Amino acid sequence: MRLAVHTGREYAGRRRTALFLAAASLAVAACSGGGGDSLSNAGNTTPAPATTAAPGDTSGGTTEGTTGTTAAPSTTVADALADLPTCNTGALDSATGPVEITFWHGMTADLEKELTRLTDAYNSSQPKVKVTLQNQGGYEQVIDKYMQSGQDSRPDLVQAPEYAVQSFRDTDSFIPVEACSKDAGYDTSALLPSAVNAYATGGVQWAMPFNVSNPVLYYNKKVFAAAGLDPEKPPTTLEELASTSKQIVDSGAASYGLVLDTSFDSGGGWFIEQWFAKAREFYADNENGRVAPATKVLFDGATGVEIMSFLQRGVQDGTFFNVGDNASGQDTFLKIADVNEPGAMTIGTSAGLGTVLAAIAAGIAPNVAVEDLGIAPMPGPNASLTVLVGGASLWIPADKGDEKAAAAWDFIQYLASAETQSAWASATGYVPMRDDAVALDPLKSTYTNDPRFRVAYDSLVATPDEPTAVGPLLGPQRDVRVLTSRAMATVLDGGDPQAALTDAATRANQLLADYQAQQGG
Amino acid sequence: MAAEMIATEAQGPRRARADDTAIGMDTVRRGWPMVLRYLLLAFVAAMVLLPVYTTLVAALKPGGKVLDRPFVPEHLTLQVFRDAWTEGRLGRYLLNSTVVAVVITTTQLVTSVLAAYAFAFLRFPLKTFWFAVFLSTLLVPLETTLVVNRRTVDSLGWLNTYQGLAVPFLATAFGTFLMRQVFMQIPKELREAAEMDGLGHLGFLREVALPLVRPTLGALALFSFLASWNQYLWPNLITTEEDMNTVQTGLRLLNSSVPDIERFNVPIAGTIIAALPIALVLIAFQRQLVRGLTAGAVKG
Amino acid sequence: MSRRLREWSLAFAMLAPSVVVLVAFVLYPLVRAIWLGRQRCDALANCYRTNGWQQYIDVAQSREFQHALWVTVKFALLTVPAGVALGLGLAVLADRQLRGFRFFRTVFSSTVATSVAVASLMWLFLLQPSRGVLANIDWLNSLFPVLKSPGLLNDPGTALTSVAVSSIWANLGFTFIVVTAGLQSIPRELQESAYVDGAGPWRRFTNVTVPMLSPTLVFVAVVLTSRAFQAYGEIDLLTNGGPVPQDSTTTITYLIYGSSSIAKSDAGLQSSVAVLLFVVLLIVSGLQLRGLGKRVHYGS
Repeated sequence: MRLAVHTGREYAGRRRTALFLAAASLAVAACSGGGGDSLSNAGNTTPAPATTAAPGDTSGGTTEGTTGTTAAPSTTVADALADLPTCNTGALDSATGPVEITFWHGMTADLEKELTRLTDAYNSSQPKVKVTLQNQGGYEQVIDKYMQSGQDSRPDLVQAPEYAVQSFRDTDSFIPVEACSKDAGYDTSALLPSAVNAYATGGVQWAMPFNVSNPVLYYNKKVFAAAGLDPEKPPTTLEELASTSKQIVDSGAASYGLVLDTSFDSGGGWFIEQWFAKAREFYADNENGRVAPATKVLFDGATGVEIMSFLQRGVQDGTFFNVGDNASGQDTFLKIADVNEPGAMTIGTSAGLGTVLAAIAAGIAPNVAVEDLGIAPMPGPNASLTVLVGGASLWIPADKGDEKAAAAWDFIQYLASAETQSAWASATGYVPMRDDAVALDPLKSTYTNDPRFRVAYDSLVATPDEPTAVGPLLGPQRDVRVLTSRAMATVLDGGDPQAALTDAATRANQLLADYQAQQGG
Repeated sequence: MAAEMIATEAQGPRRARADDTAIGMDTVRRGWPMVLRYLLLAFVAAMVLLPVYTTLVAALKPGGKVLDRPFVPEHLTLQVFRDAWTEGRLGRYLLNSTVVAVVITTTQLVTSVLAAYAFAFLRFPLKTFWFAVFLSTLLVPLETTLVVNRRTVDSLGWLNTYQGLAVPFLATAFGTFLMRQVFMQIPKELREAAEMDGLGHLGFLREVALPLVRPTLGALALFSFLASWNQYLWPNLITTEEDMNTVQTGLRLLNSSVPDIERFNVPIAGTIIAALPIALVLIAFQRQLVRGLTAGAVKG
Repeated sequence: MSRRLREWSLAFAMLAPSVVVLVAFVLYPLVRAIWLGRQRCDALANCYRTNGWQQYIDVAQSREFQHALWVTVKFALLTVPAGVALGLGLAVLADRQLRGFRFFRTVFSSTVATSVAVASLMWLFLLQPSRGVLANIDWLNSLFPVLKSPGLLNDPGTALTSVAVSSIWANLGFTFIVVTAGLQSIPRELQESAYVDGAGPWRRFTNVTVPMLSPTLVFVAVVLTSRAFQAYGEIDLLTNGGPVPQDSTTTITYLIYGSSSIAKSDAGLQSSVAVLLFVVLLIVSGLQLRGLGKRVHYGS
């Protein structure tokens, strides 16, 4: 074998030329674009060739940023259940022997422990269904693995987070939970509308909410008292957040008032959606994407700019503190627990309450005692209690056979039952998705003994059943949240809010257009 | 891999072996330069050992006490190791990694030896073409192939199986070229003598060639084993059942389900458990290790 | 059957297993990836639009790819020269003449036993801001507040360097073993004659050792570079693509497979980045051998 650089002078010259040419052409191709467009826009500048492009197809944005056309949505007709896979819940009765189903989930640590406990209890309590849990390592891994697997390799039941609703629905690989629920005559009266609506689109209930959370305000009562504020009257609006923070900082009770982060699944992404819901405004068109797929986002309007400017002002005048990306999810809390330059409050998911209290009890915050921690509804543009659900829900993949679907539905019923929700919420800090769970122990005692745990639940109950309170439904929702989180990071670093939001909106609209094209129209 | 093969050719002819004294015959035995040398080496050695040491110490303490004085071994307990073993299911994952590594190694040895023999001793049409085919696979990085390979393995129904974990690695051009090189060094006379003794090609391979190249075979085996043991991306892609994780992806899973503050050192203990078997294997096969790693750098 | 035909069919049989595997799992995926890279698809490679070769140009010019390319190059620049220098320096210092050389050699070789997951988790434990060792050493924190807030792995300025450090550490074993083996093949006479000529230790090092080692050093450099360009596990475990929004540690491989990557829902985009990785590696290896190969010294 003589593929060597030094095989001989006559080859060396030719090879060298070839190499430099290759390097040069790559460099030219790479650099001549200057700055460059987004990867998700690749290929969109070529004229759409004669493939199966539906007539109303968006022609793909250019770098000038045409904010997505209001193309006639391809499916304005709500999905009739009749066209969707059916669910025969009676199949379980005729099954011989236990039906084994696999359940992909993304629960970790203590959440996984509790889920395992509940599953084991279910398995041993009845002979018909045997559930095998498969932890994929996190929500993202669940989504990725599901998306990349053929239908045969997919599980019989899967847990998907609230931002994956549209993309999961569009895989056309699920039996809508509503089909099973109707077939079994399931009583849905106790289910909280706000939890259930989050997982419905086009008039069809696709998934059953299982673990529900929403953001709440965590605040240090001791600091409030030291600053001359009433510890039982935490801020309810953004203005109050600002004035409270100022008072705290001025009084020296703490170094900062509000602690922020810019992570896509909290401060920079999820919370933006929450604030829009509280402001009773739509985050995206087509009624937040719930009556038809969204074609453009609306967060670059006045409300969005106001929110961003508000946060920017707080950081710039030193009353708010930005921890940044908060990859671990704990940085905001650690800032409150900080000994040297503590913050006084932060907004975080209610699901973290149990962990935070346990950490405080374990002594991670020398200046904060367990009873010092206050929980209040998340403040917003007004004092509205509206919240959007976070967490995840349960989906039933189709084409697995009637028995598996019926078995999956049976397990879903168990997980959604009042008893299970009471135990689950009490152990984890998630909020039950039905109101009759609150009257049962252990949750009843938990709420009685420590009312902090029920703040999130009360917000959920108080959330009205109206279109803006259901939250946006986007195909590339996670990526859009990443865009807003980057915009927020830029703004908190001093960038212009309108410019950042417009930039993010342009890219978001491009993602939406791409997503629509991917769905074939 | 391509890089290694190409770099091999950049070698000159093999030098005679000698004791290694890179710095000089008259190395000063005492005095400042020596002291400096020891200090420098000791400092670097400490830096190299630091991660291992802190990991070990952390794995021996209960979770709440780990960060009090991270460098001092105190409050020692084996409980964390036990937890890592059971919760992390490391026993099962070690088994998976071993099975896959053994399958890949033995299959690679077989396919490489066979193909190398054909290239070294047999005449057949389009030999250069086939050689180029092998060579071209060296140029393709693993990451370029995995997207499609996942679809292939999925459609074969081999997700979450040992064969799925092993199949993209069952043949290697690197191993083929290595064995070919070493086969080509077998003197012609031996081949002729074997022919006269009535040995066909397979007989020659079995009786003469293989025994002669055993050191290189051992080196290749260890190299393959190590490479297979360290696979991270591929097992990640095709495993959706917890039982079928290898040690590497199992560690990832254990780390992502990091327990609360009281027990955050469980994954840390897991790394020690995961590293131990391979460390023992490498100590046992050091000579093959050196040969295997340098197989591309130094001929023979 | 004629003898020739028998030889041909034997050769075919011997080559077949390798060829089947290599074609099915290396060459076919490459071709298919090249083809997919011209299209926009969903995650399952159901493609909805064919854009032709222009898509490759778009991807190559895209912001994310350029950034990932730059990060990857930076990563290679951080890990390769330092890795080679470290391995060379330590191998030279820890030669046979030194008392206790065996201890040092064992320590410096030891990281070859660590896999990507093990090494990354060990370093994660050292570097993470809240529950990491370095962040909990008070005096160190007052010197370097970045340790705790936001943490070496979360600060865009230090994230890539921190990952690079863990990578250099993990590769040290390999580098050290290979260079030490290379040193052993330098003939004593050369050193002696240089000594006789009055050359001091440093001169002997630069004029004899390094030139004689140059093939080995080239080999090591090429291997380390290809490892740097294909780095995935360390990024997946340590930073998940780096602090957002700067994406300081999103390399090309992470752009293809990472969980935070924007390309992962489109098999077409994934494939085009994967093919571009192939092209980039080809060019880099070629340039490297061209550039370094010139410095390889043959003969005496």
